[in-house]
Amino acid sequence: MRMRDLTRAVLAASCLSLSLAAVTWVPASAQGSAKGSEETMDVGDEPGRVSGDDVHAEGPYAKQMVLFRSSEAPGTVVIHTSERFLYIVQGNGKALRYGIGVGREGFQWSGKVQVSRKSEWPDWRPPPEMIARQPYLPRFMAGGPGNPMGARALYLGSTVFRVHGTNQPETIGQAISSGCFRLANGDIIDLYERVPVGTKVIIRHSASL
Amino acid sequence: MLHAVKLHARSALACLGAAALCALALPAAAGTLDTVKQRGTLQCGVSEGLYGFSEQNAQGQWSGFDVDFCRAVAGAIFDDPAKVTFVPLSASNRFEALRSGKVDLLSRNTTWTLEREAGLGLAFAGINFHDGQGFMVMRSLNKDSALDLDGAKVCVEAGTTTQANLADFFRANSMKYEEFAFPRSSETLAAFQNGQCNVLTRDQSALYAERLRLPKPGDAIILPDVISKEPLGPVTRADDFPWFNVVRWVNFALINGEELGVTQANTAEAAASGKPDVRRFSGAEGGLGKMLGLDDAFALRAVKASGNYAEIYERNLGVRSRLGIPRGLNQLWSMGGVLYAPPLR
Repeated sequence: MRMRDLTRAVLAASCLSLSLAAVTWVPASAQGSAKGSEETMDVGDEPGRVSGDDVHAEGPYAKQMVLFRSSEAPGTVVIHTSERFLYIVQGNGKALRYGIGVGREGFQWSGKVQVSRKSEWPDWRPPPEMIARQPYLPRFMAGGPGNPMGARALYLGSTVFRVHGTNQPETIGQAISSGCFRLANGDIIDLYERVPVGTKVIIRHSASL
Repeated sequence: MLHAVKLHARSALACLGAAALCALALPAAAGTLDTVKQRGTLQCGVSEGLYGFSEQNAQGQWSGFDVDFCRAVAGAIFDDPAKVTFVPLSASNRFEALRSGKVDLLSRNTTWTLEREAGLGLAFAGINFHDGQGFMVMRSLNKDSALDLDGAKVCVEAGTTTQANLADFFRANSMKYEEFAFPRSSETLAAFQNGQCNVLTRDQSALYAERLRLPKPGDAIILPDVISKEPLGPVTRADDFPWFNVVRWVNFALINGEELGVTQANTAEAAASGKPDVRRFSGAEGGLGKMLGLDDAFALRAVKASGNYAEIYERNLGVRSRLGIPRGLNQLWSMGGVLYAPPLR
Protein backbone atom coordinates (compact mmCIF):
# COMPACT_ATOMS: atom_id res chain seq x y z
CA MET A 1 0.00 0.00 0.00
CA ARG A 2 2.73 2.41 1.03
CA MET A 3 4.53 1.64 -2.19
CA ARG A 4 1.51 2.38 -4.30
CA ASP A 5 0.87 5.74 -2.78
CA LEU A 6 4.51 6.66 -2.99
CA THR A 7 4.79 5.67 -6.59
CA ARG A 8 1.63 7.47 -7.50
CA ALA A 9 3.08 10.63 -6.04
CA VAL A 10 6.33 10.21 -7.89
CA LEU A 11 4.89 9.30 -11.20
CA ALA A 12 1.97 11.68 -11.36
CA ALA A 13 0.03 11.07 -14.52
CA SER A 14 2.26 8.70 -16.39
CA CYS A 15 3.85 5.35 -15.79
CA LEU A 16 6.64 6.02 -18.23
CA SER A 17 10.13 6.81 -16.98
CA LEU A 18 11.03 7.55 -13.44
CA SER A 19 14.04 9.67 -12.67
CA LEU A 20 17.09 7.92 -11.25
CA ALA A 21 16.99 10.21 -8.23
CA ALA A 22 13.46 9.09 -7.48
CA VAL A 23 14.61 5.49 -7.27
CA THR A 24 16.28 6.22 -3.96
CA TRP A 25 12.80 6.79 -2.55
CA VAL A 26 11.91 3.20 -3.17
CA PRO A 27 11.91 1.09 0.01
CA ALA A 28 14.65 -1.54 0.03
CA SER A 29 12.16 -4.38 0.01
CA ALA A 30 10.52 -3.21 -3.16
CA GLN A 31 13.80 -2.44 -4.83
CA GLY A 32 15.06 -5.92 -4.08
CA SER A 33 12.58 -7.45 -6.47
CA ALA A 34 14.03 -5.47 -9.33
CA LYS A 35 17.54 -6.61 -8.49
CA GLY A 36 19.07 -10.04 -8.46
CA SER A 37 20.07 -11.15 -11.90
CA GLU A 38 18.17 -8.32 -13.57
CA GLU A 39 20.25 -6.10 -15.77
CA THR A 40 18.50 -2.85 -16.39
CA MET A 41 19.08 -1.22 -19.75
CA ASP A 42 19.23 2.51 -19.31
CA VAL A 43 17.26 3.39 -22.40
CA GLY A 44 16.01 6.93 -22.70
CA ASP A 45 12.62 7.55 -24.23
CA GLU A 46 12.57 8.55 -27.85
CA PRO A 47 9.49 10.68 -28.45
CA GLY A 48 8.97 11.27 -32.13
CA ARG A 49 10.55 8.01 -33.18
CA VAL A 50 7.99 6.35 -35.39
CA SER A 51 7.52 2.62 -35.21
CA GLY A 52 4.89 0.70 -37.14
CA ASP A 53 2.63 -2.12 -36.09
CA ASP A 54 5.60 -4.31 -35.24
CA VAL A 55 4.95 -7.70 -33.75
CA HIS A 56 7.50 -10.05 -32.34
CA ALA A 57 7.11 -12.67 -35.05
CA GLU A 58 10.04 -14.90 -34.23
CA GLY A 59 11.98 -16.12 -31.25
CA PRO A 60 11.01 -16.66 -27.64
CA TYR A 61 9.22 -13.34 -27.26
CA ALA A 62 6.87 -14.01 -30.17
CA LYS A 63 3.22 -14.42 -29.23
CA GLN A 64 2.56 -18.12 -28.78
CA MET A 65 0.28 -20.64 -27.15
CA VAL A 66 2.06 -22.34 -24.24
CA LEU A 67 1.30 -24.86 -21.54
CA PHE A 68 0.21 -22.94 -18.44
CA ARG A 69 -1.63 -24.47 -15.52
CA SER A 70 -3.80 -22.02 -13.69
CA SER A 71 -6.83 -21.99 -11.45
CA GLU A 72 -7.68 -18.53 -12.79
CA ALA A 73 -10.65 -18.20 -15.12
CA PRO A 74 -10.02 -18.13 -18.86
CA GLY A 75 -9.44 -14.56 -19.98
CA THR A 76 -7.45 -13.61 -16.88
CA VAL A 77 -4.20 -11.79 -17.59
CA VAL A 78 -1.11 -12.93 -15.64
CA ILE A 79 2.15 -10.97 -15.83
CA HIS A 80 5.42 -12.57 -14.71
CA THR A 81 7.85 -9.69 -14.51
CA SER A 82 11.03 -11.72 -13.99
CA GLU A 83 10.26 -13.87 -17.03
CA ARG A 84 9.17 -10.87 -19.17
CA PHE A 85 5.98 -12.58 -20.21
CA LEU A 86 2.31 -11.69 -20.15
CA TYR A 87 -0.18 -14.55 -20.31
CA ILE A 88 -3.86 -14.66 -21.18
CA VAL A 89 -5.25 -17.77 -19.52
CA GLN A 90 -7.13 -19.91 -22.05
CA GLY A 91 -8.29 -22.71 -19.79
CA ASN A 92 -7.47 -26.30 -20.68
CA GLY A 93 -3.96 -25.88 -19.24
CA LYS A 94 -2.90 -23.34 -21.84
CA ALA A 95 -2.26 -19.64 -22.17
CA LEU A 96 -1.47 -17.21 -24.93
CA ARG A 97 1.93 -15.73 -24.11
CA TYR A 98 3.39 -12.35 -25.17
CA GLY A 99 6.92 -11.05 -24.66
CA ILE A 100 7.06 -7.80 -22.68
CA GLY A 101 9.59 -5.25 -21.57
CA VAL A 102 9.47 -4.37 -17.88
CA GLY A 103 10.53 -0.99 -16.55
CA ARG A 104 11.57 -0.11 -13.02
CA GLU A 105 8.01 0.83 -12.21
CA GLY A 106 6.78 -2.54 -13.40
CA PHE A 107 9.01 -4.27 -10.84
CA GLN A 108 7.76 -2.17 -7.96
CA TRP A 109 4.41 -3.66 -7.40
CA SER A 110 2.61 -6.96 -7.51
CA GLY A 111 -0.98 -7.81 -6.88
CA LYS A 112 -4.40 -8.16 -8.44
CA VAL A 113 -6.29 -5.44 -10.26
CA GLN A 114 -8.85 -5.03 -13.01
CA VAL A 115 -8.47 -3.31 -16.34
CA SER A 116 -10.23 -0.05 -15.55
CA ARG A 117 -9.97 1.70 -18.89
CA LYS A 118 -8.61 1.18 -22.37
CA SER A 119 -7.25 3.75 -24.74
CA GLU A 120 -6.16 3.83 -28.37
CA TRP A 121 -3.05 5.89 -29.16
CA PRO A 122 -2.92 7.36 -25.62
CA ASP A 123 -1.60 10.84 -24.92
CA TRP A 124 1.50 11.24 -22.77
CA ARG A 125 2.30 13.72 -20.03
CA PRO A 126 5.80 13.07 -18.69
CA PRO A 127 5.90 13.85 -14.94
CA PRO A 128 8.27 16.61 -13.72
CA GLU A 129 10.83 14.08 -12.42
CA MET A 130 11.23 12.68 -15.89
CA ILE A 131 11.58 16.07 -17.45
CA ALA A 132 14.28 16.88 -14.93
CA ARG A 133 16.22 13.83 -16.07
CA GLN A 134 15.42 14.05 -19.75
CA PRO A 135 14.94 17.78 -20.36
CA TYR A 136 14.36 17.26 -24.06
CA LEU A 137 11.03 15.55 -23.37
CA PRO A 138 7.87 17.40 -24.33
CA ARG A 139 5.43 18.51 -21.59
CA PHE A 140 2.59 16.95 -23.48
CA MET A 141 2.51 14.65 -26.45
CA ALA A 142 -0.65 13.72 -28.29
CA GLY A 143 -1.14 10.03 -29.02
CA GLY A 144 0.29 8.75 -32.28
CA PRO A 145 2.97 6.62 -33.90
CA GLY A 146 5.88 8.61 -32.43
CA ASN A 147 4.50 8.47 -28.88
CA PRO A 148 6.46 6.30 -26.39
CA MET A 149 3.14 5.01 -25.03
CA GLY A 150 2.60 3.22 -28.31
CA ALA A 151 -0.59 2.18 -30.02
CA ARG A 152 -2.76 1.10 -27.09
CA ALA A 153 -2.88 1.23 -23.30
CA LEU A 154 -4.72 -0.82 -20.71
CA TYR A 155 -5.06 1.06 -17.40
CA LEU A 156 -4.78 -1.08 -14.28
CA GLY A 157 -7.30 -0.31 -11.56
CA SER A 158 -6.79 3.08 -9.95
CA THR A 159 -3.01 2.73 -10.06
CA VAL A 160 -0.63 4.53 -12.38
CA PHE A 161 0.40 1.17 -13.79
CA ARG A 162 -0.54 0.21 -17.28
CA VAL A 163 0.16 -2.21 -20.06
CA HIS A 164 1.06 -0.21 -23.12
CA GLY A 165 2.73 -0.28 -26.52
CA THR A 166 6.08 1.18 -27.42
CA ASN A 167 7.91 2.96 -30.18
CA GLN A 168 11.04 1.01 -29.12
CA PRO A 169 10.15 -2.61 -29.99
CA GLU A 170 13.75 -3.77 -29.42
CA THR A 171 13.25 -3.31 -25.67
CA ILE A 172 10.89 -6.30 -25.50
CA GLY A 173 12.38 -9.02 -23.30
CA GLN A 174 14.50 -6.50 -21.39
CA ALA A 175 14.45 -4.87 -18.01
CA ILE A 176 14.45 -1.24 -19.01
CA SER A 177 14.84 2.01 -17.22
CA SER A 178 11.32 3.23 -17.82
CA GLY A 179 7.76 2.08 -18.30
CA CYS A 180 5.52 -0.49 -16.73
CA PHE A 181 4.77 -3.36 -19.05
CA ARG A 182 5.34 -2.65 -22.71
CA LEU A 183 4.55 -4.76 -25.75
CA ALA A 184 5.45 -4.24 -29.40
CA ASN A 185 2.70 -2.16 -31.01
CA GLY A 186 1.36 -5.01 -33.14
CA ASP A 187 1.15 -7.20 -30.04
CA ILE A 188 -0.57 -4.59 -27.84
CA ILE A 189 -3.15 -4.08 -30.60
CA ASP A 190 -3.78 -7.83 -30.61
CA LEU A 191 -3.96 -7.92 -26.80
CA TYR A 192 -6.27 -4.89 -26.72
CA GLU A 193 -8.84 -6.74 -28.82
CA ARG A 194 -8.77 -9.77 -26.50
CA VAL A 195 -8.90 -8.04 -23.11
CA PRO A 196 -12.10 -6.17 -22.17
CA VAL A 197 -12.47 -3.59 -19.39
CA GLY A 198 -13.02 -5.46 -16.12
CA THR A 199 -10.51 -8.21 -16.88
CA LYS A 200 -8.63 -9.45 -13.83
CA VAL A 201 -4.87 -8.82 -14.03
CA ILE A 202 -2.39 -10.60 -11.74
CA ILE A 203 1.17 -9.31 -11.52
CA ARG A 204 3.83 -11.58 -10.04
CA HIS A 205 7.49 -11.00 -9.25
CA SER A 206 10.01 -13.56 -8.31
CA ALA A 207 10.61 -13.61 -4.57
CA SER A 208 13.07 -11.24 -2.92
CA LEU A 209 15.31 -11.91 0.01
CA MET B 1 15.80 -44.25 8.92
CA LEU B 2 13.55 -47.31 9.06
CA HIS B 3 13.62 -47.39 5.29
CA ALA B 4 17.41 -47.38 5.28
CA VAL B 5 17.59 -50.25 7.75
CA LYS B 6 15.25 -52.33 5.61
CA LEU B 7 17.32 -51.72 2.53
CA HIS B 8 20.49 -52.74 4.28
CA ALA B 9 18.83 -55.91 5.54
CA ARG B 10 17.80 -56.73 2.00
CA SER B 11 21.28 -56.25 0.55
CA ALA B 12 22.72 -58.36 3.36
CA LEU B 13 20.36 -61.17 2.38
CA ALA B 14 21.34 -60.75 -1.24
CA CYS B 15 24.97 -61.07 -0.20
CA LEU B 16 24.31 -64.46 1.37
CA GLY B 17 22.64 -65.58 -1.82
CA ALA B 18 24.99 -64.47 -4.56
CA ALA B 19 28.57 -63.35 -4.50
CA ALA B 20 28.06 -61.22 -7.60
CA LEU B 21 25.42 -59.08 -5.91
CA CYS B 22 27.72 -58.68 -2.92
CA ALA B 23 30.22 -56.91 -5.13
CA LEU B 24 27.51 -54.58 -6.37
CA ALA B 25 26.55 -53.67 -2.85
CA LEU B 26 30.11 -52.85 -1.84
CA PRO B 27 30.30 -49.19 -2.92
CA ALA B 28 27.22 -48.52 -0.84
CA ALA B 29 28.63 -50.32 2.16
CA ALA B 30 31.44 -47.77 2.30
CA GLY B 31 28.83 -45.01 1.92
CA THR B 32 28.90 -43.09 -1.35
CA LEU B 33 29.08 -39.71 0.39
CA ASP B 34 32.21 -40.75 2.32
CA THR B 35 33.72 -42.23 -0.82
CA VAL B 36 33.09 -39.01 -2.72
CA LYS B 37 34.53 -36.89 0.09
CA GLN B 38 37.65 -39.06 0.34
CA ARG B 39 38.14 -39.12 -3.42
CA GLY B 40 37.73 -35.36 -3.50
CA THR B 41 35.61 -35.41 -6.65
CA LEU B 42 32.11 -36.44 -7.68
CA GLN B 43 31.90 -38.97 -10.52
CA CYS B 44 28.88 -37.88 -12.47
CA GLY B 45 27.43 -39.80 -15.42
CA VAL B 46 26.16 -37.57 -18.22
CA SER B 47 25.05 -37.93 -21.82
CA GLU B 48 27.73 -38.18 -24.49
CA GLY B 49 26.26 -35.10 -26.12
CA LEU B 50 22.77 -33.64 -26.13
CA TYR B 51 21.91 -30.04 -26.98
CA GLY B 52 21.21 -28.08 -23.82
CA PHE B 53 21.56 -31.05 -21.48
CA SER B 54 25.19 -32.07 -21.74
CA GLU B 55 27.77 -30.88 -24.23
CA GLN B 56 31.56 -30.73 -24.24
CA ASN B 57 33.29 -27.90 -26.07
CA ALA B 58 36.61 -28.00 -27.94
CA GLN B 59 38.46 -27.13 -24.73
CA GLY B 60 36.91 -30.13 -23.03
CA GLN B 61 34.59 -28.07 -20.80
CA TRP B 62 31.18 -29.49 -20.10
CA SER B 63 27.99 -27.48 -20.06
CA GLY B 64 24.27 -28.17 -19.95
CA PHE B 65 21.29 -28.68 -17.69
CA ASP B 66 22.38 -32.16 -16.52
CA VAL B 67 25.98 -30.96 -16.14
CA ASP B 68 24.90 -28.05 -13.95
CA PHE B 69 23.06 -30.46 -11.68
CA CYS B 70 26.30 -32.43 -11.15
CA ARG B 71 28.06 -29.16 -10.32
CA ALA B 72 25.35 -28.24 -7.84
CA VAL B 73 25.86 -31.54 -6.00
CA ALA B 74 29.63 -30.98 -5.99
CA GLY B 75 28.99 -27.45 -4.72
CA ALA B 76 26.82 -28.77 -1.89
CA ILE B 77 29.53 -31.25 -0.83
CA PHE B 78 32.78 -29.38 -1.49
CA ASP B 79 31.71 -25.76 -1.97
CA ASP B 80 33.55 -26.14 -5.28
CA PRO B 81 31.65 -26.81 -8.51
CA ALA B 82 34.88 -27.84 -10.25
CA LYS B 83 35.19 -31.02 -8.19
CA VAL B 84 33.30 -33.15 -10.68
CA THR B 85 34.63 -35.80 -13.02
CA PHE B 86 32.19 -36.10 -15.90
CA VAL B 87 31.74 -39.59 -17.26
CA PRO B 88 30.00 -39.63 -20.65
CA LEU B 89 27.68 -42.61 -20.90
CA SER B 90 25.57 -44.06 -23.69
CA ALA B 91 21.93 -45.00 -23.22
CA SER B 92 22.87 -48.68 -23.10
CA ASN B 93 25.73 -48.56 -20.57
CA ARG B 94 24.43 -45.87 -18.21
CA PHE B 95 22.71 -48.12 -15.68
CA GLU B 96 25.55 -50.60 -15.42
CA ALA B 97 27.99 -47.73 -14.86
CA LEU B 98 25.87 -46.59 -11.92
CA ARG B 99 25.30 -50.06 -10.48
CA SER B 100 28.98 -50.97 -10.62
CA GLY B 101 29.99 -47.77 -8.82
CA LYS B 102 31.81 -46.30 -11.83
CA VAL B 103 29.68 -43.20 -11.26
CA ASP B 104 28.16 -41.93 -8.01
CA LEU B 105 25.27 -40.29 -9.74
CA LEU B 106 23.56 -40.44 -13.11
CA SER B 107 22.44 -37.05 -14.41
CA ARG B 108 21.61 -38.01 -17.95
CA ASN B 109 18.11 -37.23 -19.28
CA THR B 110 16.81 -40.50 -17.91
CA THR B 111 13.09 -41.22 -17.60
CA TRP B 112 11.82 -42.36 -14.21
CA THR B 113 9.96 -45.65 -14.57
CA LEU B 114 8.93 -48.46 -12.23
CA GLU B 115 11.09 -50.98 -14.06
CA ARG B 116 14.25 -48.94 -13.58
CA GLU B 117 13.72 -48.66 -9.85
CA ALA B 118 12.27 -52.04 -8.91
CA GLY B 119 13.97 -54.03 -11.67
CA LEU B 120 17.44 -52.48 -11.73
CA GLY B 121 17.82 -51.49 -8.08
CA LEU B 122 18.06 -47.78 -8.79
CA ALA B 123 16.40 -44.82 -7.14
CA PHE B 124 15.33 -41.59 -8.85
CA ALA B 125 16.11 -38.70 -6.54
CA GLY B 126 13.38 -36.54 -8.06
CA ILE B 127 12.27 -34.96 -11.29
CA ASN B 128 14.19 -32.00 -12.63
CA PHE B 129 12.74 -31.93 -16.14
CA HIS B 130 9.20 -32.89 -17.06
CA ASP B 131 9.50 -33.90 -20.67
CA GLY B 132 6.76 -35.43 -22.80
CA GLN B 133 5.83 -36.09 -26.35
CA GLY B 134 4.73 -33.12 -28.41
CA PHE B 135 4.21 -31.90 -31.95
CA MET B 136 6.14 -29.54 -34.22
CA VAL B 137 4.19 -28.00 -37.10
CA MET B 138 4.96 -25.47 -39.79
CA ARG B 139 3.86 -22.01 -38.66
CA SER B 140 2.07 -21.56 -42.00
CA LEU B 141 -0.33 -24.34 -40.98
CA ASN B 142 -1.76 -21.87 -38.45
CA LYS B 143 -2.52 -24.42 -35.71
CA ASP B 144 -2.14 -23.80 -32.01
CA SER B 145 -3.47 -27.02 -30.55
CA ALA B 146 -2.80 -30.72 -31.10
CA LEU B 147 -6.56 -31.21 -31.17
CA ASP B 148 -6.65 -29.29 -34.48
CA LEU B 149 -4.47 -31.87 -36.21
CA ASP B 150 -7.26 -34.03 -37.68
CA GLY B 151 -6.16 -35.25 -41.11
CA ALA B 152 -2.50 -34.27 -40.60
CA LYS B 153 0.47 -36.00 -42.21
CA VAL B 154 2.70 -36.98 -39.30
CA CYS B 155 6.39 -37.91 -39.41
CA VAL B 156 7.60 -40.21 -36.63
CA GLU B 157 10.53 -42.45 -35.83
CA ALA B 158 9.59 -46.08 -36.45
CA GLY B 159 9.48 -48.68 -33.71
CA THR B 160 9.48 -46.22 -30.82
CA THR B 161 7.06 -45.62 -27.97
CA THR B 162 6.60 -42.26 -29.69
CA GLN B 163 4.90 -44.04 -32.58
CA ALA B 164 2.60 -45.92 -30.20
CA ASN B 165 1.71 -42.75 -28.26
CA LEU B 166 0.90 -41.02 -31.53
CA ALA B 167 -1.57 -43.76 -32.49
CA ASP B 168 -3.17 -43.67 -29.02
CA PHE B 169 -3.56 -39.90 -29.02
CA PHE B 170 -5.29 -39.70 -32.40
CA ARG B 171 -7.51 -42.68 -31.63
CA ALA B 172 -8.49 -41.34 -28.23
CA ASN B 173 -9.51 -38.05 -29.83
CA SER B 174 -11.31 -39.61 -32.83
CA MET B 175 -8.94 -37.95 -35.27
CA LYS B 176 -7.39 -39.35 -38.46
CA TYR B 177 -3.79 -38.97 -39.58
CA GLU B 178 -1.47 -40.26 -42.24
CA GLU B 179 1.73 -41.71 -40.80
CA PHE B 180 5.21 -41.42 -42.33
CA ALA B 181 7.59 -43.56 -40.27
CA PHE B 182 11.38 -43.58 -40.68
CA PRO B 183 14.06 -45.67 -38.99
CA ARG B 184 16.25 -42.67 -38.05
CA SER B 185 15.59 -39.29 -36.52
CA SER B 186 17.61 -37.54 -39.26
CA GLU B 187 15.38 -39.04 -41.96
CA THR B 188 12.28 -38.12 -40.00
CA LEU B 189 13.39 -34.51 -39.81
CA ALA B 190 14.34 -34.46 -43.50
CA ALA B 191 10.84 -35.64 -44.44
CA PHE B 192 9.33 -32.86 -42.34
CA GLN B 193 11.71 -30.36 -43.90
CA ASN B 194 10.89 -31.31 -47.50
CA GLY B 195 7.15 -31.23 -46.84
CA GLN B 196 6.41 -34.95 -47.04
CA CYS B 197 4.61 -34.45 -43.74
CA ASN B 198 3.43 -31.28 -42.01
CA VAL B 199 3.74 -32.50 -38.42
CA LEU B 200 6.71 -34.04 -36.59
CA THR B 201 6.26 -35.80 -33.26
CA ARG B 202 8.98 -36.49 -30.64
CA ASP B 203 9.67 -35.61 -27.04
CA GLN B 204 9.39 -31.84 -26.60
CA SER B 205 13.01 -31.25 -25.61
CA ALA B 206 14.12 -33.13 -28.74
CA LEU B 207 11.71 -31.13 -30.92
CA TYR B 208 13.27 -27.85 -29.79
CA ALA B 209 16.72 -29.25 -30.61
CA GLU B 210 15.57 -30.58 -34.00
CA ARG B 211 14.00 -27.24 -34.85
CA LEU B 212 17.45 -25.63 -34.65
CA ARG B 213 18.56 -27.90 -37.49
CA LEU B 214 15.95 -26.51 -39.86
CA PRO B 215 17.21 -23.91 -42.36
CA LYS B 216 14.67 -21.47 -40.92
CA PRO B 217 13.82 -22.53 -37.36
CA GLY B 218 11.31 -19.68 -37.08
CA ASP B 219 9.10 -21.31 -39.72
CA ALA B 220 8.17 -24.12 -37.34
CA ILE B 221 6.43 -23.95 -33.98
CA ILE B 222 6.06 -26.50 -31.22
CA LEU B 223 2.52 -26.91 -29.96
CA PRO B 224 1.98 -26.57 -26.20
CA ASP B 225 0.29 -29.97 -25.89
CA VAL B 226 2.14 -32.77 -24.11
CA ILE B 227 0.69 -36.24 -24.75
CA SER B 228 2.95 -38.51 -22.70
CA LYS B 229 4.91 -38.43 -19.45
CA GLU B 230 8.71 -38.47 -19.61
CA PRO B 231 9.86 -37.35 -16.16
CA LEU B 232 13.65 -36.95 -16.20
CA GLY B 233 15.78 -36.81 -13.09
CA PRO B 234 19.00 -37.74 -11.32
CA VAL B 235 19.49 -41.39 -10.36
CA THR B 236 21.41 -43.13 -7.58
CA ARG B 237 21.78 -46.72 -6.44
CA ALA B 238 18.86 -47.85 -4.31
CA ASP B 239 21.02 -49.37 -1.58
CA ASP B 240 22.51 -46.13 -0.25
CA PHE B 241 19.69 -44.12 1.21
CA PRO B 242 21.85 -41.40 2.86
CA TRP B 243 23.48 -40.64 -0.51
CA PHE B 244 20.12 -40.76 -2.28
CA ASN B 245 18.95 -38.19 0.25
CA VAL B 246 21.88 -35.87 -0.45
CA VAL B 247 21.09 -35.88 -4.18
CA ARG B 248 17.37 -35.55 -3.57
CA TRP B 249 17.74 -32.54 -1.29
CA VAL B 250 20.13 -30.78 -3.63
CA ASN B 251 17.41 -31.08 -6.29
CA PHE B 252 14.84 -29.71 -3.84
CA ALA B 253 17.25 -26.95 -2.80
CA LEU B 254 17.57 -25.67 -6.37
CA ILE B 255 13.79 -25.47 -6.72
CA ASN B 256 13.33 -23.91 -3.29
CA GLY B 257 16.12 -21.48 -4.16
CA GLU B 258 14.07 -20.18 -7.06
CA GLU B 259 10.96 -19.97 -4.92
CA LEU B 260 12.81 -17.98 -2.22
CA GLY B 261 14.57 -15.70 -4.69
CA VAL B 262 18.06 -16.98 -3.84
CA THR B 263 20.24 -16.59 -6.93
CA GLN B 264 23.86 -17.18 -7.82
CA ALA B 265 24.41 -13.43 -7.62
CA ASN B 266 22.88 -12.86 -4.19
CA THR B 267 24.11 -15.78 -2.07
CA ALA B 268 26.04 -13.38 0.16
CA GLU B 269 22.90 -11.30 0.73
CA ALA B 270 20.92 -14.48 1.37
CA ALA B 271 23.33 -15.52 4.10
CA ALA B 272 22.54 -12.25 5.86
CA SER B 273 18.78 -12.34 5.28
CA GLY B 274 16.38 -12.01 8.17
CA LYS B 275 13.64 -14.15 6.59
CA PRO B 276 13.30 -17.44 8.51
CA ASP B 277 13.01 -19.66 5.41
CA VAL B 278 15.98 -17.96 3.78
CA ARG B 279 17.97 -18.35 7.01
CA ARG B 280 17.29 -22.09 7.04
CA PHE B 281 18.22 -22.25 3.37
CA SER B 282 21.52 -20.50 3.97
CA GLY B 283 22.32 -22.63 7.02
CA ALA B 284 22.25 -19.68 9.39
CA GLU B 285 19.75 -21.66 11.45
CA GLY B 286 18.13 -25.08 11.54
CA GLY B 287 21.27 -27.23 11.30
CA LEU B 288 19.76 -29.06 8.31
CA GLY B 289 22.89 -29.78 6.29
CA LYS B 290 24.51 -31.73 9.14
CA MET B 291 21.62 -34.19 9.08
CA LEU B 292 22.59 -35.02 5.52
CA GLY B 293 26.28 -35.28 6.34
CA LEU B 294 26.97 -31.94 4.68
CA ASP B 295 27.73 -28.40 5.73
CA ASP B 296 24.68 -26.50 6.95
CA ALA B 297 25.12 -24.13 4.00
CA PHE B 298 24.77 -26.97 1.48
CA ALA B 299 21.69 -25.49 -0.24
CA LEU B 300 23.27 -22.08 -0.59
CA ARG B 301 26.48 -23.70 -1.88
CA ALA B 302 24.51 -25.63 -4.50
CA VAL B 303 22.97 -22.39 -5.76
CA LYS B 304 26.36 -20.68 -5.61
CA ALA B 305 27.76 -23.44 -7.81
CA SER B 306 25.11 -23.54 -10.54
CA GLY B 307 22.40 -21.00 -9.79
CA ASN B 308 18.87 -21.84 -8.68
CA TYR B 309 16.54 -23.97 -10.81
CA ALA B 310 15.37 -21.05 -12.95
CA GLU B 311 18.93 -19.91 -13.61
CA ILE B 312 20.01 -23.41 -14.64
CA TYR B 313 16.94 -23.77 -16.84
CA GLU B 314 17.27 -20.38 -18.53
CA ARG B 315 21.00 -20.73 -19.12
CA ASN B 316 20.70 -24.07 -20.88
CA LEU B 317 17.16 -24.53 -22.16
CA GLY B 318 15.15 -21.37 -21.66
CA VAL B 319 14.21 -18.38 -23.75
CA ARG B 320 17.67 -16.86 -23.60
CA SER B 321 19.35 -20.08 -24.73
CA ARG B 322 19.50 -21.44 -28.27
CA LEU B 323 16.77 -23.96 -27.53
CA GLY B 324 14.15 -21.53 -26.23
CA ILE B 325 11.97 -24.12 -24.47
CA PRO B 326 9.13 -22.44 -22.54
CA ARG B 327 9.10 -23.37 -18.85
CA GLY B 328 5.71 -25.07 -19.27
CA LEU B 329 5.39 -27.91 -16.74
CA ASN B 330 8.89 -27.07 -15.50
CA GLN B 331 7.69 -23.87 -13.91
CA LEU B 332 7.10 -23.55 -10.16
CA TRP B 333 3.76 -24.91 -8.97
CA SER B 334 2.82 -21.35 -8.00
CA MET B 335 3.59 -19.99 -11.47
CA GLY B 336 1.74 -22.33 -13.83
CA GLY B 337 3.91 -25.46 -13.68
CA VAL B 338 4.26 -28.55 -11.49
CA LEU B 339 7.64 -28.05 -9.77
CA TYR B 340 6.99 -28.52 -6.07
CA ALA B 341 9.73 -29.12 -3.54
CA PRO B 342 9.15 -29.96 0.13
CA PRO B 343 10.39 -27.26 2.51
CA LEU B 344 13.88 -27.15 3.94
CA ARG B 345 13.13 -27.27 7.62
